[in-house]
Amino acid sequence: MKKLLEFSGIDPERLVLKWVSSAEGPRFAKVVTEFVEKIRQVGPSPLRPKKFSGEELTEKAS
Amino acid sequence: MIEQVKKHVKSLISTGKIAGFLGLRNDEGVVTPFLFQQPEDVDAALSLGDLDVPGAARYPMAKLAMRLLQNSQDDSIYGVLVRGCDERALNELKRWNQLGTTDRLIKVGVACPEELAKDHQCRKPFPDEFVAGEKVSPQPNDVVTEILAKDLDSRLAYWLGEFNRCIKCYGCRDICPVCFCNVCTLGDDTLVRTGDLPPENPMFHLTRAVHMAGRCIDCNLCTEACPADIPLRTLYKRVAEIIADEFGYVTGEPGEGKSPLNILGPEPGHTSAND
Repeated sequence: MKKLLEFSGIDPERLVLKWVSSAEGPRFAKVVTEFVEKIRQVGPSPLRPKKFSGEELTEKAS
Repeated sequence: MIEQVKKHVKSLISTGKIAGFLGLRNDEGVVTPFLFQQPEDVDAALSLGDLDVPGAARYPMAKLAMRLLQNSQDDSIYGVLVRGCDERALNELKRWNQLGTTDRLIKVGVACPEELAKDHQCRKPFPDEFVAGEKVSPQPNDVVTEILAKDLDSRLAYWLGEFNRCIKCYGCRDICPVCFCNVCTLGDDTLVRTGDLPPENPMFHLTRAVHMAGRCIDCNLCTEACPADIPLRTLYKRVAEIIADEFGYVTGEPGEGKSPLNILGPEPGHTSAND
């Protein structure tokens, strides 16, 4: 899966697969917290729809 | 070349070895799949799909053969026209348990001419056994390497641009010889948002790519069928490489071993998938 993302141009760091048992609450919290930290470092996804800004329109017009 | 095939098929039909032959029929220049049951029809209209160029009309013969077996009321044996790609698809379908337990297909193979093999950069342009044609060497295909040479951002820009042309005709899925699921993820609104054009980009195509893992036999029918010229095959080729690297599984080979993505692990509390 990561390799496919990489081939498609999406940072494979954005995907994490981990087995966590339902009995491992603290581990789950740890895994998620770490991943959230990582994603914050990597920044917004390039696939995220761009917010509309007037600048683009003026750029196109000029 | 076609005369040798006709002769072979007629003998199979007249000796009663097969109940019918799934081949292609040329009806005044229009080539469609057809189940030949009479030797006269074979003489009159059997085609290899060669029109202006060899193999101009190709169909997923393996998938059609699979449907034929599934819909037949008895245990009849059928003949089927196979090129190298069709044979790989049949091998793969067998591994995915789609052709039943008994062998009910007699393959009538043709080796593809060099022109056709080159057109599709075919990895094996001939079946293991064939009654007509000459064996030509496999053709190289470097598209995957070309894309891997780009950096992440250019790859993403490239694929988003390609996928953006998708008109969601499902042609890639429908023509695919190894797409056999009764219920398709791509039609499920909870998995891939429906109703958008182009379909959710790149989720729609990446989802299909994941489902091609351990299945795609690199026949190039999807790319050929795509009205928007999306190089789908390149994507699935990379997926096949990944499966070969990770699991050592090569699609389309004869044999019994299951595709790695067709093996169910044990559920929690069980020691095997079957207990």
